[in-house]
Amino acid sequence: MSDIQEATNQLLDVHLHGNQKSIQVTEGGPRSESEHLQVTIGATVPTGFEQTAADEVREKLGSSCKISRDRGKIYFDISVESLAQVHCLRSVDNLFVVVKEFKDYQFKETKEEVLKDFEELAGKLPWSEPLKVWKVNTSYKKKKTKRKKINQNSSKEKIDNGQGDRADEKDDKKGFTSKALDSHILDYYENPAIKEEISTLVGDDLASCKDETDEGSKEDAPEVLKFRVTCNRAGEKHCFSSNEAARDFGGAVQDYFKWKADMTNFDVEVLLNIHDNEIVVGIALTEESLHRRNITHFGPTTLRSTLAYGMLRLCAPQPTDIIVDPMCGTGAIPIEGATEWSNCYHIAGDNNPLAVSRAANNISSLLTKSQIKEGKVSWGLPIDAVQWDICSLPLRTGSVDIIVTDMPFGKRMGSKKRNWNLYPACLREMSRVCRPGTGRAVLLTQDKKCFTKALSGMGHVWRKVHTVWVNIGGLHAAVYLLKRTPQAFVHPIEQDGERTPW
Amino acid sequence: MKLLTHNLLSSHVRGVGPRGFPLRLQATEVRINPVEFNPEFVARMIPKVEWAALLEAADTLHLVEVPTEPIEGYEHDEKFLRRMHHVLLEVDVLEGTLQCPESGRLFPISRGIPNMLLSDEETET
Repeated sequence: MSDIQEATNQLLDVHLHGNQKSIQVTEGGPRSESEHLQVTIGATVPTGFEQTAADEVREKLGSSCKISRDRGKIYFDISVESLAQVHCLRSVDNLFVVVKEFKDYQFKETKEEVLKDFEELAGKLPWSEPLKVWKVNTSYKKKKTKRKKINQNSSKEKIDNGQGDRADEKDDKKGFTSKALDSHILDYYENPAIKEEISTLVGDDLASCKDETDEGSKEDAPEVLKFRVTCNRAGEKHCFSSNEAARDFGGAVQDYFKWKADMTNFDVEVLLNIHDNEIVVGIALTEESLHRRNITHFGPTTLRSTLAYGMLRLCAPQPTDIIVDPMCGTGAIPIEGATEWSNCYHIAGDNNPLAVSRAANNISSLLTKSQIKEGKVSWGLPIDAVQWDICSLPLRTGSVDIIVTDMPFGKRMGSKKRNWNLYPACLREMSRVCRPGTGRAVLLTQDKKCFTKALSGMGHVWRKVHTVWVNIGGLHAAVYLLKRTPQAFVHPIEQDGERTPW
Repeated sequence: MKLLTHNLLSSHVRGVGPRGFPLRLQATEVRINPVEFNPEFVARMIPKVEWAALLEAADTLHLVEVPTEPIEGYEHDEKFLRRMHHVLLEVDVLEGTLQCPESGRLFPISRGIPNMLLSDEETET
């Protein structure tokens, strides 16, 4: 309660002026002034990879990060001038600008009181600067509209065509809705439908505008903005639901700004993130989650690009490293690799012809995209696809520097029983092709028991260096970083003296 | 399939071991894709390459002449590096075959993707 009182007192001034400014968020605002603003940006990242993301932020933006207790989120400060670079971060799924953070929000006793507080909160928040940032961000995104459309259209088509593959996803979705907690679990696998486990403001009127009106409609000055509120709530002691919070907070936001509520075709997405006693109010800066960026051809178990990036970063690729994903599926990892570590050479392999074909298609889409984006004639990327069997890789012994892969979980692909045979065979073959001494492997799996057992017999070739615990669509998985020992591989067949590390 | 990939591939037919390298390349369709030239990448990659295999593959495809050995001071020889860049990264074999030098087994390359899978009988103990 005291927090709110404080906030009210501090923000009274803003409230008085706020009303006018907020309605005038249109073209012609003092843009140069906006660009010198320092703002706090929040980013959602795959759980478990917060530190990797923080490292990328430090490396590319020079900012240090605060890692939230609300897993999967990091916060950092930047000047608005650096906003474009923030969008180039590869380890983050979604970005938002922080309007206000409450570290220890005091909830009242009853639901009615809590919701009333949310209603009152709307008018007391420091909206103007975050909205300026949103404005700058929107104008920046407009330049990219053309490019985005091409990808959006193609990815939509592919999702529709992939109906057959999606049978598995539906079971998981049922699992979600029956969970007691409203906690927002980002799905590990690419399934846009599951992401909507978030409560949004229930708008009375759904605008029927189509996407093609992008170009024209938003250009003109004083126009009523459309918005929606998305609430993520996690915590055991709340007496309200995310639905209710979104509805009441959203209602107050609508009254305050005189914006129009629209669930699907909104300009502004207001975020209300509640994690126990921590509340963060933000404005979204990304529409489509960045983690879908590279994949236009989905498969049943496509890995998020942000997760692929995190895994690659873990093994610290060096220039000219040969990086192989021997169970690549749709190729998410090698494709992310070829984009971000283009001074390495990437090979995507799988035994399934459908998977290899999808990977090849995704590679082609990537080439097309980079042509349009950069306007240069660069056709080729340092990446190739091969169809092979992980248990018997057609690769020279000791020729691969890094192996990164998403091992079958035994849930959507394969089975737990199969893993008992598969995992040891994989680890053995991977140790053969991996360069002794300097080679390393980063392996993601949910079948931790099987993996640990398989690894225990291989201490002479693999040394476990690090483990990252990740929460993937409700499954607790692990990413293991292994180092290849200096011991050369001995061919069991060649034990009559023909051992040649060639 | 690029020639750098070919340089890493080896036949895994049972009992063949290191004699499965290099695979004999036959191409019926090849495409040249320009790739941005990165001299450091090429210079660093050369020591990792099995030179004889690369030479043989480049000859089969009637590519620009590859010397029998990397020349002295190649790291600073731009002409040489550009040539190697072309051979390693810009030549894409779309259709063809790879043949195990020891067993004669043929592996097809189709739409740029080599299919290295062995049949069940071939992988049986």
